[in-house]
Amino acid sequence: MKPWLAPLLLLLLFSPVGAAEIRFVTWRETQGFMERLIHDFEAQNPDLRIVRDIGPHSSTEFHDLVAQKFKNRDREMDVFFMDVIWPAEFASAGWALPLDRFFPPEERKKFLPAAIRANSYTGAIYGVPLFVDAGLLYYRKDLLEKYRLQPPRTWPELVEQAKTILGRENSSGLTGFSGQFKQYEGLVCNMMEYILSNKGSLWDEANLSGALHSVVAKEAVRFVRDHIIGEISHRGVLAYQEPESLALFTEGRAVFHRNWPYAWEEANDAQKSKIAGRVGMAPLPAFPGGKSAAALGGWQLGISRFSRRPELAWRFIEFMTREETQKRIALWTGRGVAREKIYQDPEVLGKYPQFRAQFEISTAAAPRPPTPVYVPLSNIMQRYFSAAVSARDSDLDRLAAHADRDMDRVLDLLRPRAAR
Amino acid sequence: MKRSERAALWFVLPSVFLVGLFSIYPILESARLSFYRMILMLPWLGEKFVGLENYRDLATDPVALDSLAITLVFVGVSAALEVLAGLGMALLLNESFRARGLVRAAVLVPWAIPTVVSSQMWRYLFNDRYGLFNFLLFGRATERYLAPLADARLAPAAIVFADVWKTSSFAALIILAGLQTIPDELYEAAAVDGATAWQKFRRVTLPLLKPALLLALLFRTIDAFKVFDLVFVMTQGGPADATNVLQFYGYKKIFAEGMIGYGSAISVGVFCFSLVLSFFYIRLIGARVLEKGTAR
Repeated sequence: MKPWLAPLLLLLLFSPVGAAEIRFVTWRETQGFMERLIHDFEAQNPDLRIVRDIGPHSSTEFHDLVAQKFKNRDREMDVFFMDVIWPAEFASAGWALPLDRFFPPEERKKFLPAAIRANSYTGAIYGVPLFVDAGLLYYRKDLLEKYRLQPPRTWPELVEQAKTILGRENSSGLTGFSGQFKQYEGLVCNMMEYILSNKGSLWDEANLSGALHSVVAKEAVRFVRDHIIGEISHRGVLAYQEPESLALFTEGRAVFHRNWPYAWEEANDAQKSKIAGRVGMAPLPAFPGGKSAAALGGWQLGISRFSRRPELAWRFIEFMTREETQKRIALWTGRGVAREKIYQDPEVLGKYPQFRAQFEISTAAAPRPPTPVYVPLSNIMQRYFSAAVSARDSDLDRLAAHADRDMDRVLDLLRPRAAR
Repeated sequence: MKRSERAALWFVLPSVFLVGLFSIYPILESARLSFYRMILMLPWLGEKFVGLENYRDLATDPVALDSLAITLVFVGVSAALEVLAGLGMALLLNESFRARGLVRAAVLVPWAIPTVVSSQMWRYLFNDRYGLFNFLLFGRATERYLAPLADARLAPAAIVFADVWKTSSFAALIILAGLQTIPDELYEAAAVDGATAWQKFRRVTLPLLKPALLLALLFRTIDAFKVFDLVFVMTQGGPADATNVLQFYGYKKIFAEGMIGYGSAISVGVFCFSLVLSFFYIRLIGARVLEKGTAR
């Protein structure tokens, strides 16, 4: 080879001939829609190519991956997925690009307000919601009908029904309830639903202090410890995230199941599920005197502050969140999307009648309070909840007091300088 | 003499440079950061020098103290089991039998598998519904199946088990090397004196194997102190913090919570512990080698 050829070839290799690359950090998506959407986007935008960077399934681990990329000022990440609890943190750290110039207020009005609130921080917007999730109760319609039971409205009722069914079914493989109780973010969502539905809260946003020590919060946690774990759920749920708990349900081995909207399609897919067509869905129960509370979840698309081509990145986000795409996603997956209009779409409702109920639940869903220090707070709560529910004889008073004290210390960081 | 020394210096320089760049510099940088309060998510707090505050907090942080206890138990139990298992394996591999080469290679397989992969494997094996572990213990009696990773007492044991499985062969390798330096004449002499197999092991093998055993123990102790990937993949520190080892706690502080200063203080703590342990072992091993030298 001629000596001058090598540098020339190298130049050719890195020259910007052809499509510009947009790097999209995402998780593995199993329903196949992401691939098709990216394919369609590239067909409509021949000058752009989407390169997917696949991160872990667990939100906690995905957070650490994205945060790591930000800390390294990684220019190889343009668009990224954001869990509903991160916008405040990423905005405060200066990692997520404010999207106000792309995403004006009149456009935001077309999305579910709770999702827009979760993406706003100190007056600016940092993400565009793609999926909106809310905690739901799934149940075995056939079993409840067999014993002439209505979907439970209160948690004690759920326990009662589970015990009735377990007692009469007499099948060793069947458990009453499966949820997510591993020490991770999902545990906070699950426990928050119990606490809020007993008129409690995680922390007091106005006074910046922990609220786990309150009587109502402790009552709710005690209920989970004494009546759910090891009672109507086997202790294995203490290691379960969403996939494991859903698998138990779709194998027909759980009467009740707590999960996000995506579980509906999975549970009714005859290829993957033994209980397809025998599944019911309802709002989560509440404690007597309380109101059903669903944790707001969901995923947003954001642009990295270190991206070299935010304009091009926006074209991809705009495509993914436009009405037409959102409708296609809803029709393909049955997952809750972020645009309000989709929930009234006759075609969508025809295929997924549950969207009507899902809209009500999603609109009323409770976000975990947005704060830049969410992760440290969540770690304290995960520690507390896990310790509280995984041992029958846990000292709730002491554990809750400790958790509150630790949360107070973290929340103190948010007080204005003068007050500290 | 002088010139060759100078030449030697030049040869050592590249490795000094590399060690300095990739080991010394990060350690010094962590030490520096550990004196600051620096929280990534709250950039307006700035980088504030706080002296020993992070260390004071660390000394009174119940989670950190629990984490230290968990780590020490993990180190003690796993290193001891690994050296014991390694000794057994080494003694076996030192015997001559058919296909010894093959067995020797096979023993190293667990060690050659990346920890993240083997951790994932153990996570499945310990699963409470379809895990092989339960099947072996209880067969078809599914109602008796345990959930080791969901139980605050069993989860640490499961982590130790996975670590022993993976790294015993490394200990075996070092011990095997030690075994092969023991001259056959000593065994012949012992045989002539009418020693039993146990006496041979107790009086000949074990004393001469001590440096190798200590070396294996040193490597395993320090490595065990840095345990991270097993916990990261298998339990994420849970349930109820039962497997929240120091390195994982520090990782969470820095990478998830953005508490750079406090997390660095944890890293420096782990570093100091390993340093003290290394000094202790190296003195022990050094003394052994010295003894051997003067005896000759």
